Amino acid sequence: MAVATAASAGDAVVGAVTPLTGKLAVYGEGFQKAMNLALDEVNAEGGINGMPMKIVFEDNNSTSKGSVSAIQKLITIDKLPVIFGPAASSNFLAVCPIAQQNKTILIGAESAAADITKCGSYVFRVFPSDLLQGIGVAELAKSLGYKEVVLTYINNDWGVGLADVFKENFKKEGGKILDEFAHEEGKTDYRSEILRIKRINPKAIVNLTYIKEGATLLRQAYEANMSTQWLMGSASKSPKLVELAGGAAEGVIGTYPTFSQETPEYKHYKDAWDKKYPGGKTPIFGEYNYDMVKLTAKALKAAKSMSADDIREALIAESQGFVGVTGDKSFDANGDCGATYGRWTVKDGKIVDYK
Amino acid sequence: MTYYLQLLLNGMVAGSVYAMFAVGLTMVYGVFRFINFAHGELIAWGAYLVLLFYLEPCSLPLYAAVVPALLVTVLIGLAQDRFVYKPLRHSSHITLLIASIGLSYLLRNAIRLIWGSDLMTYGLGLTRGISFAGLSITWIQIAMVGAALVFLGFLYILLNFTILGKSLRAVSDNMDLADIMGISMKRIGLTVWLLASVFAGTGGILLALDTNLEPMMGLTNLIKAFAAVLLGGAGNVWGALLGGLFIGIAENVGVAFFSPGYKDFISFAVIILMLLFRPRGIFGIAGGVR
Repeated sequence: MAVATAASAGDAVVGAVTPLTGKLAVYGEGFQKAMNLALDEVNAEGGINGMPMKIVFEDNNSTSKGSVSAIQKLITIDKLPVIFGPAASSNFLAVCPIAQQNKTILIGAESAAADITKCGSYVFRVFPSDLLQGIGVAELAKSLGYKEVVLTYINNDWGVGLADVFKENFKKEGGKILDEFAHEEGKTDYRSEILRIKRINPKAIVNLTYIKEGATLLRQAYEANMSTQWLMGSASKSPKLVELAGGAAEGVIGTYPTFSQETPEYKHYKDAWDKKYPGGKTPIFGEYNYDMVKLTAKALKAAKSMSADDIREALIAESQGFVGVTGDKSFDANGDCGATYGRWTVKDGKIVDYK
Repeated sequence: MTYYLQLLLNGMVAGSVYAMFAVGLTMVYGVFRFINFAHGELIAWGAYLVLLFYLEPCSLPLYAAVVPALLVTVLIGLAQDRFVYKPLRHSSHITLLIASIGLSYLLRNAIRLIWGSDLMTYGLGLTRGISFAGLSITWIQIAMVGAALVFLGFLYILLNFTILGKSLRAVSDNMDLADIMGISMKRIGLTVWLLASVFAGTGGILLALDTNLEPMMGLTNLIKAFAAVLLGGAGNVWGALLGGLFIGIAENVGVAFFSPGYKDFISFAVIILMLLFRPRGIFGIAGGVR
């Protein structure tokens, strides 16, 4: 079996571009710990077919520039076939083309941007794409019994992409869109938009937007004496929404990507974490990092050789039906995986789970 | 039908505030012959200063916070003139224009530095609008139109029935001749900056009450005011007023015909068309506060 040249013979080595310094360092440390936790388990179970697995961590100083130099080092000097990409979609997107051009596998555990789907055949992520929210909201509308809705979305790549996915899925389920239009980012006056909705007087409005825009829309709709059910995505799920919109946010229902904390996989992760890092809380996105390492190890074991192309094939095959802490991680043709959705609502000025 | 009436109503509310901004902008142009790009920042500062006096540690009631806020806005307006425009008074128009753009960046970023870029509100309670004949309007919106009427009415009296107002019009007609006639340029300058600052500040406060505060609010509204000024003919006070109303109504009624997302394009279209075809305004009068 061929082995990555930079490693001592007999090691299965992968790289990781991780924010260990800079503004994301506070998260980066948690990512690293979660990856190491999974690594320990892999090696305790015999590593990669007898070879110990290793992760070479490169700091990116939390910047795109740092991410680019880090990945270039991992690809050209260490010659590693698999690299775990940096946190923050902008940093991840900065290194995507480099990985794709060099035919190196890049896997992300925290990057949600829809654009990552288009990064190329060597790029994967275990974190759900923002686009999936479109499906989540379509399911939400359907399950609440809304067959006819007005759709509005923020006028940028993210909003338009999300709206397209929503429309496709909502119509497939027999839903009807009474009216749809984009609203501009960052405006303070959406009264004309609201008037347009009011004229149709729908039972529900699907509003795929951010926090500020969402709050302004809710507020001005309330002032215009409108009372309809608002359905929203996860990007506006924030206490700031309630702070800005006040009572107008009451009763909004939305979706957000989540995973169950009741599964045996989660319980195992939590116990292992407490054992290895006693006294510490599990970090944000730690579960995704853990799943990423576990899934990669599974692929490395099954790969015909340590060449990136063989690992890539194995990664796609092995991911099918792989259930990690964060749920099913089966990769689709774009290297994206699915997501399960929770529901949030605003009750008495607080964001709570909708039941 | 109600739909179109409501659009018209919304347009009149927006238009009355644009008119307040445009009148100040055009008066400064009329007297000093340059478009003050930092005019928008007086709008934003007026709104943010209310926030300053309203929140801790001052904790004044909202109506009382308006007074010191407007005073400071006027001081900023006067300081603009004293420290930037006055030393440049005899330079070319381009110099003044560039200076005012620079000043607007400075003032806008000062807001970012002090209050941050995040959206803020006065945090007033939420109220349902008042409904009549299927139309709805909020108390704040009524106040916006009311304030515009009071302020512009005051301006009408000032310009037509007082010596100060008449001198102001004389100066904008011909500054040198007015100077020879013994009109105090200093006094006129002060009056213009005072009026422009108070109009901008008040409009800004009303806008913030109606919606919310963000550092870019000045710039967005400056574009509307600028379009209104061009529409009315630069320097023409009543032209600017009508221009402001027109832009507000056009923007809002336009929503019936194209996506509301593209509402802002109306004011830009007006700017381009006016500059191309009627650079002196639709009334075609050359210069002067009339």
